[in-house]
Amino acid sequence: MEAREQQLPITNSSIPSQTPTTSVNIVATGEALSWLSTLTRFHAGYFRISLSLCGQALLWKILRDPGTDAHALGPVIHIMPSAAFFVLWSLALFSLVALCLLFIIRCLFRIENIKAELSHHVGMNYLFAPWMSWLLLLESTPFLHPKTTGYLVLWWVFSVPIVVLDVKIYGQWFTEGKKLLSMAANPTSQISVIANLVGARAAAKMGWRESATCMLSLGLVHYLVLFVTLYQRFVGCDSLPAMLRPVFFLFIAAPSMASLAWDSISGTFDIASKMLFFLSLFLFASLVSRPATFRRSMRRFNVAWWAYSFPLTMLAMAATEYAQGEEGIVPNALMLVLSLLSALVTLVLVAFTFLKAGNLVPYDEPFAPSPSERTN
Amino acid sequence: MMQELSHQMENKDLQVQLSTKQGFPEELPSLLKCIASQTIAGFDSAECSGMNYQTQLVTLPNPQEDATVGEVLEAAKLHGQVNVIFGPPPSSPVEATDCHEPHAISVSMPASPSGLHIVQTKQVLLIDKAGPTAIAGQPNQPSDSDTINSRQPKQGKFHSQPIPYGRATGGKVTDPLESQSRIPRNESQRDKRFDPFKTWSGKLERQLSNLRGKPQEPDLEANDCHGAETETLPAVDRYFDALEGPELDTLRDTEVSVLPEDKKWPFLLRFPISSFGMCLGVSSQAILWKTLAISPSMSFLHVSLTVNLVLWGISLALMATVSLIYSLKIVFFFEAVRREYHHPIRVNFFFAPWIACLFLVLGLPPSVAVNVQPAIWYVLMAPIFCLELKIYGQWMSGGQRRLSKVANPSNHLSIVGNFVGALLGASMGLKEGPIFFFAVGLAHYTVLFVTLYQRLPTNVTLPKELHPVFFLFVAAPSVACMAWAKIRGDFDYGSRMAYFIAMFLYASLAVRINFFRGFRFSLAWWAYTFPMTGASVATIKYSMEVTNVLTQSLSVGLSAISTFTVTALLLSTIIHAFILHDLFPNDISIAITQKRPKFSKKLAHLRSASSDMKDLEASLPKNNSELEL
Repeated sequence: MEAREQQLPITNSSIPSQTPTTSVNIVATGEALSWLSTLTRFHAGYFRISLSLCGQALLWKILRDPGTDAHALGPVIHIMPSAAFFVLWSLALFSLVALCLLFIIRCLFRIENIKAELSHHVGMNYLFAPWMSWLLLLESTPFLHPKTTGYLVLWWVFSVPIVVLDVKIYGQWFTEGKKLLSMAANPTSQISVIANLVGARAAAKMGWRESATCMLSLGLVHYLVLFVTLYQRFVGCDSLPAMLRPVFFLFIAAPSMASLAWDSISGTFDIASKMLFFLSLFLFASLVSRPATFRRSMRRFNVAWWAYSFPLTMLAMAATEYAQGEEGIVPNALMLVLSLLSALVTLVLVAFTFLKAGNLVPYDEPFAPSPSERTN
Repeated sequence: MMQELSHQMENKDLQVQLSTKQGFPEELPSLLKCIASQTIAGFDSAECSGMNYQTQLVTLPNPQEDATVGEVLEAAKLHGQVNVIFGPPPSSPVEATDCHEPHAISVSMPASPSGLHIVQTKQVLLIDKAGPTAIAGQPNQPSDSDTINSRQPKQGKFHSQPIPYGRATGGKVTDPLESQSRIPRNESQRDKRFDPFKTWSGKLERQLSNLRGKPQEPDLEANDCHGAETETLPAVDRYFDALEGPELDTLRDTEVSVLPEDKKWPFLLRFPISSFGMCLGVSSQAILWKTLAISPSMSFLHVSLTVNLVLWGISLALMATVSLIYSLKIVFFFEAVRREYHHPIRVNFFFAPWIACLFLVLGLPPSVAVNVQPAIWYVLMAPIFCLELKIYGQWMSGGQRRLSKVANPSNHLSIVGNFVGALLGASMGLKEGPIFFFAVGLAHYTVLFVTLYQRLPTNVTLPKELHPVFFLFVAAPSVACMAWAKIRGDFDYGSRMAYFIAMFLYASLAVRINFFRGFRFSLAWWAYTFPMTGASVATIKYSMEVTNVLTQSLSVGLSAISTFTVTALLLSTIIHAFILHDLFPNDISIAITQKRPKFSKKLAHLRSASSDMKDLEASLPKNNSELEL
């Protein structure tokens, strides 16, 4: 489909003797077409935005949950009227719908690029992102109770693609010779794990413990393999460009989400959940104490910056669940600090998106159909 | 060029051999010349100091080869590996003010042509001995070559020196030219070769000696600092390239050390961080004997708590001593400490002091104190936490120190700290903190365990043969099992699983005891005894849970083995310390060069050839003592 764009200037320049109106029409058509092609370049990585916003909506919902200790969050809760939560939820819904539409357009016009994306070691993981966002939004829906049929149907609609993608991608890890895990593993691979855990949590909220446990076990076993592989950092595994360094924060998101999923399955924030939460806290401290890792990616605003928000939101959610189970200053302080941090980061990112929208528009196609080259 | 050099050197060898075989004693006097070389351009040190210094030079009669060898050695000098003084040919008269570039090449004259490196070290060695005599006029002065050497901290530059043996054994030498020395000297003989490893390149020491009222050395020092650039540490790859051995403490043949290898370094410089392994070993014994005394299932042994008290006292004293000495090393030889920190194996031993402190608190005799303040736990865990952040962070995202490359059994020391901390915290009654450290330790232990079991081909640090370091495998599961039992309140299935894993690993290593042979004793071996002790304590705890003859006899057996091992190690340590005097050998692993030496292959080749020449060298001193220099 890029051939079409290349044809456009040729078309324009090769018809010099047209009448002015025709040439204007052609130019207008050309512009519309180029605008369309820009729209079709919104790849799955842009779902980070919807992921963050939906996660943030879920966090606010949990914070407003009666189980939360009102004393610690009292002032914060009062600042946050339900109208604000509704606005956030609507914003999340709007962004998700818009991005889905864009992705559908992309599917229609650039199917080869979609295929290239599916086989790319970073791109393939973000194909989980839409379904995760829908599940998070479902959970945070103010008007749909988990025990209703609508919730059930929607859960099925959103979880089946996750399982299908699981079978494809995890199956590739241990069967196919070309896509070795040791070569393809990178921090974004944890998104597949997190997707399973999100599905598990949503199922547990519904009361479907067996499906929840099934998805949880899928997620956990692959998390184990992935965690070890990522820590080992094989040579040749450094295939992540510097611009994508923010995705290292996904190290924080996976154990937090696992902690939340186990918490919703077992009913209490028991020792396993605590251990997972503490692990993600440690990884957070570890990443935050190494700012040099992120320096190069922070030079220019781009969609990868949105990768900061979702993991922080998950960590804050886990801290909230932890504080709900424990008494004391430290858990509540953790909850407060982490929630504020995630809200702040999301707010900053939203502001940057509005102010520097130009930086976000994809002028280049990052997933070329040919397997040899790849620019991001 | 290298081939040329080797060719030249070999030719020279031949000539020297010939000359030495044919009536050597007669030839020597004519070969040796007292040549004073003045400040020659390109001799940085000489320029800096702006003073004359004298070196005794020897010229070899190689007229036809001068030019080529000269070029080659000039190039070598530029590369900073060798400083060669170009002395005037033997025929020309020596003038003190001679400045022009001379024609012949003076190379130091041990008869063995074996390698520039050997030449260098011999010079250094003998300069040292010759120090008092090299510069006439004032005895007990550090030689100029020390000054020269200190100017280039990174590369071991050594200068040609005259026939050392005669000088060394010849007592005071009067040299009419040496009276030109204008360098005032200290009373004490400061060996400046170790300055790069000292804190602030030796400035701290000078400040202290200044404070103690000793006269300062003059502008020499200013030039010292001026010339010495900030010491950059070798990258981790350099450690792998330059060192070999299970503990990465042996220098490869192709490498040189920045510090003289055959002189005994200052004690502090030789005191490695792995000495804290001794504290680990002894304090874990204290814990073992405490557990033996207070466990109901072991009451048939009638062990008294006095043993624990005595051992605890010893370990406390030992810990205090070792900490004191190492703090002195930090104060005086900070650069050396930094280099140790960047060593892929030694960095793990930086956890050892804190783990030893945790052991001390765990092994606290009931007669000393029963309840310990939780604040102590936080104080002890804080350094472990910070070190962990650094090291695990490096595994995850830090450049070259990727786990697939640096993983080695010593990494267990960084993991065990978590479990020991969790055990202590849970014993003290803390709730969340122990769970935190247990979780972090467990996650990273999984990663490390898998990596070590994989024995990846990219992993260069894993010892090919079985080495006592492998016993560290047993440490983590045994301590984890006890920690989990304390956290949960009883010895549940999780603890039992960890315990059985520990026993399996212990058995795997024990049946291969034949392969633990042929290793040079090192202090780090003490650190490998605490896993055995840990396994014994875990077995005792297990026997409290499952009390039968089998578990009790297993406890007794394992305790006996660990006590015996510690005793044997103690005896070895005493033997090495007092009889063999090599308990603290020169710590080569911190003295590797920044870059690979240019003539590394040559060095390896010539080093291997040097053994032939050793006999010849041995015969020299007898001849040289007759020389008048």
